[in-house]
Amino acid sequence: MHALEIRNLSKTFGSLKAVDNASFTVPEGSIFGLIGRNGAGKTTTIRMMMNIYLPDSGEVILRGTKVGQEFKDKVGYLPEERGLYKKMKVLETLLYFAELKGKSGKEIEKKALQYLKRFDLLDRKLAKVEDLSKGNQQKIQFIATVLHDPDFIILDEPFSGLDPINTNLLKEIILEMKQRGKVIIFSTHLMDFAEKMCDHIAMIDKGQIIVNGSLAELKQKYSQKNVSLNYEGDISFLKGHPIVEKMEDFGNSLGIRVNHPSQTQELLKLLVDHNILVKKFNANDISLHEIFIELAGKETEAVKEVHNA
Amino acid sequence: MLNYRTLAVIKRELREKLMSKSFIISTILLPLFMFGILGFQTLLFSYEGGNKVVLQMITESPDLTAKLETELSNIESVKEGSYVMSYYTMTKPEFDKYLKEKKESIVKEEVSGLIFVSEAAMTDKKIQYYSKTPKDISLSDKLSGPINKVLIDNYFTSKNLSPADLDFARTGVDFTSFKVTENEKIEEEGYGNLILSYLFSFILYISLLMMGQMIMQSVLEEKNNRIVEVLLSSVHPNELMTGKVLGMGITGGIQMAIWLTPVILVISTSWFMLPPEFVFSITLLQVGYLLVNYVVGLITFLGLFATVGAIFDNAQEAQSGMWPLMMLIIIPFFIAMSMVRNPNNTIAEIASIAPFASIIVMPAKLAIVDVPIWQLIGSFVINVATIFAIFPIAGKIYRVGILRTGKKPKWSEIFAWLKYKY
Repeated sequence: MHALEIRNLSKTFGSLKAVDNASFTVPEGSIFGLIGRNGAGKTTTIRMMMNIYLPDSGEVILRGTKVGQEFKDKVGYLPEERGLYKKMKVLETLLYFAELKGKSGKEIEKKALQYLKRFDLLDRKLAKVEDLSKGNQQKIQFIATVLHDPDFIILDEPFSGLDPINTNLLKEIILEMKQRGKVIIFSTHLMDFAEKMCDHIAMIDKGQIIVNGSLAELKQKYSQKNVSLNYEGDISFLKGHPIVEKMEDFGNSLGIRVNHPSQTQELLKLLVDHNILVKKFNANDISLHEIFIELAGKETEAVKEVHNA
Repeated sequence: MLNYRTLAVIKRELREKLMSKSFIISTILLPLFMFGILGFQTLLFSYEGGNKVVLQMITESPDLTAKLETELSNIESVKEGSYVMSYYTMTKPEFDKYLKEKKESIVKEEVSGLIFVSEAAMTDKKIQYYSKTPKDISLSDKLSGPINKVLIDNYFTSKNLSPADLDFARTGVDFTSFKVTENEKIEEEGYGNLILSYLFSFILYISLLMMGQMIMQSVLEEKNNRIVEVLLSSVHPNELMTGKVLGMGITGGIQMAIWLTPVILVISTSWFMLPPEFVFSITLLQVGYLLVNYVVGLITFLGLFATVGAIFDNAQEAQSGMWPLMMLIIIPFFIAMSMVRNPNNTIAEIASIAPFASIIVMPAKLAIVDVPIWQLIGSFVINVATIFAIFPIAGKIYRVGILRTGKKPKWSEIFAWLKYKY
């Protein structure tokens, strides 16, 4: 069952085609990643899902019916560019945002205080937002996103500007939400995070969805012939070797693609023969980053060819 | 449209604006400040600089000199000693010689000036004043009356007239104003209603500008701080705009009510005794009309100011979009002011029922002339109709504007927004 189904969404601003016939599905109970470079159309897509922008064409189906204003009450949205009223007090801010979602009263205030305590901000509940540090303002914004207990949580680059401790706290809460059956939608250009957190993804490039599906399936599909390697030693001999199609250094690991799936064993033997200390050899493994480069990179090449022709 | 989301926005606006220190202070201080300015101006006009004015009064006849001395001695400034007068009698050739001698002391300001009343002045009233600063309005204000009186007396005594005749000749024409109203009651009227008319135009003008600026700032803040995107994930742009406009409209209405309280107290209680020339006549119903009409008009303006705030990214850029709106407030204000001299001029007549203008002009007119009921209702209906005409357009521009940032849009682009599907 799909929680959300995006069908043929398009949006044009003047001459710019921001989103071009985008379709993808978000399954129930999943952590879903909308992945793409800056300016690829992620925010525009999300804004259309939220009914902030009306699409030029296409529709968003929420559990079988078209989304409207009622969807907004069920969703918590953390935009990439955060914004709070600077002069408003912390608790007041949280209660106001909950009130806009139709939640008010003692119960929600109690919950707000619980969250503040969890984020170690209880003593600042009467402080003005402008007096808080940037990181703390981020936390307030996150609490405001989830306080009304939404069924859908849309987070646009949620970890930017958070320190490791609070990043972990945020992850913890997100996983908790998932366990409670909430649908979480990430939008990010950070592949590593998406890879660790998401179980379903859609990749968007130049306004078009280039891939959509479960992360495991995608990896399986794209990982044949691929090896992820952690090592010590000099592997320059692999460059230009007949069995190696492509090599890419990702810093902590090396991605190697061989010409044929059966050649992975040969590769391991080559490494051992050359006295390379193999720390991790993961055959048929591919990072999200590699998949993205493969898909979006191809596109760039295709564009280049058109320009050259 | 008035759902819980809009209500939440209204509530926040009221908490934010109505309870803000700046609003409370400006609402209370502005009237005080206005009276302060008036008082200060009066003080400045009547202030002579503290310097002693040394004047010499010279005539060609001893009899006239004596009469002038008697009359001028009664002037307040002479009694107080701020004017030091001395009196001489000499012929024209003697005076010319004397003037030459005194020239130096006039330049040195030992003597402020010489006033020469020639033989000819007894019939043509042309007197001469020699001074370093001859254009002294406060001096001629003080002296011309008494000198005129002496000259008139002098002229007519030779004509064998009774003192009663003289008194008659001396008195100027006195306009006593009677207001003729619909219900055929004729009542004497002082300056009260003129002042009221000024007062109405002034407070309406100030309040419109203040409220307009406030909502524009508030929209700019939401846009600049990127709060708007969070808000729009909960509310529809129309709900947000409606909430803000109504919240600010209520704030403006309360401010206006506070400013009108003195007027309401004067007409509905006997706590204040105004001097007779300042007594004004206005009914509670008329004050109520002003208030309701103001709130309706204010809502139109707030919608427009909010739209301007949504179009631009910062206050500097917004200035350029604001001037057409400012003109819609300033021009009616001047029309209302001009009406005090001639309440029935055609421009004022039209402005008092025209959209936008009537918000200021109608109450000012109401205070000085009897406005037929149909005009009152007409202007109100037109104002309400304006809201319905303006808001679909303003709302659309607002919706597109609040989410866009970057380069300052051209007017042509803004018109193109109207065609956008949002």
